[in-house]
Amino acid sequence: MELRNIEMAARGGGEDCKKEDKLEFRVLHVPLPSEREASIALGSLAPDREPRKGGITKELSALGNVLSVRWTADEARILRVSVGSFLDNLALVLETMEQFGPSVPL
Amino acid sequence: MVNKSVKTRSCSVATVSLSIMTKKGDDNMTVVIGFEGSANKIGVGIVRDGEVLANPRRTYITPPGQGFLPSETSKHHRGVILTVLREALQQAALKPADIDCVAYTKGPGMGAPLVTVAIVARTVAQLWRKPLLGVNHCIGHIEMGRLITHANNPTVLYVSGGNTQVIAYSEKRYRIFGETIDIAVGNCLDRFARVIKISNDPSPGYNIEQMAKKGSQYVELPYTVKGMDVSFSGILSYIEEVAHKMLGSGQCTAEDLCFSLQETLFAMLVEITERAMAHCSSQEVLIVGGVGCNLRLQEMMRIMCMERGAKVFATDERFCVDNGAMIAQAGWEMFRAGQLTDLADSWITQRYRTDEVEVTWRD
Repeated sequence: MELRNIEMAARGGGEDCKKEDKLEFRVLHVPLPSEREASIALGSLAPDREPRKGGITKELSALGNVLSVRWTADEARILRVSVGSFLDNLALVLETMEQFGPSVPL
Repeated sequence: MVNKSVKTRSCSVATVSLSIMTKKGDDNMTVVIGFEGSANKIGVGIVRDGEVLANPRRTYITPPGQGFLPSETSKHHRGVILTVLREALQQAALKPADIDCVAYTKGPGMGAPLVTVAIVARTVAQLWRKPLLGVNHCIGHIEMGRLITHANNPTVLYVSGGNTQVIAYSEKRYRIFGETIDIAVGNCLDRFARVIKISNDPSPGYNIEQMAKKGSQYVELPYTVKGMDVSFSGILSYIEEVAHKMLGSGQCTAEDLCFSLQETLFAMLVEITERAMAHCSSQEVLIVGGVGCNLRLQEMMRIMCMERGAKVFATDERFCVDNGAMIAQAGWEMFRAGQLTDLADSWITQRYRTDEVEVTWRD
């Protein structure tokens, strides 16, 4: 849940590599307290598309309690903006879950 | 042993019947929470069957001479939204379990702030296991105005920092009869305020309105009504061009410019509203949107309406200016008509015209 760890994971754990002229920031793995929280985070963060028309793709998935994101981008600049705003949004989701959770059981 | 189990059972029966009663009571009333943050205001409102239970709001105020930009605005919203949400629940004295539906602004508006607000709405809807509902911001203004003023079927003038439209309801749509072909009337006022460094606190439009009261000399400005539509960008360019020259040479005061700009812009708005009324044979005007709380605009509209034997409906800044209750109220109407938004379809959109929405809740 600690965002500093996530940011470090984003820098250290992800891989930047050049592939078919595309920058690929392979994966950011975010462990959440439970599967339910990972699923809520996915549900909150997945619906909005990237603002620019081309130049970047972002795929989110959740497996167990881990939320994963995979980016591909034409330019580092566009990638940086997308990763930055993703982390801001993720922090807001975590804060909301902390203050207005836990999730109501079924 | 037998006694004890009987006792336990009767106790649990009592609990069950009590919870059924509570549930029944809840079922008669529909409670909707609304999240709004498409521009520089962030608000959370709670509406229960036409009653506004809470409507707290914060405004991102920039220094004089500066407008608000998407990323800074969304940063502001991120910083206060959870506090505003807590305030709304406290003021309404409700628990999340009492809420039936979570409504949020789907668009139109600035992308980054819309996303920020939608994310919180989606998260609480999932946490609380409540249905989600994406609301058109303009429809929110119209439904809030109708609720507060009890105007039945008015011609609507929707005027704000981002929108300028004359709207009338017909056959399941709010139809746009006239609109701006470039910038919104509020944007014209805001940007003029920046040119002569009028304060943005509480809002540039409010400060222009106060200064205009002290203006006496009318400075002639372009008047640009084009059929049912209006154009404000030329007026802005013109006043930007002449403002410093005229103020520098003492030809007029800043108050005179505020007065002249208001008179010109509002005369144009009243003209196209009157034309729409004549077209629809309407005897009611409802003014909504942030500029709608300007008392001079309301007064000019009233003069026109008196001449036609028509009535003006307007609200004050609590409900005119962007707020959460307006999204809750439009959401309430939509929810009661059976509409919902799937999580996967809950993406925000910067462009979302008023007439794209099918108005399922009106005859």
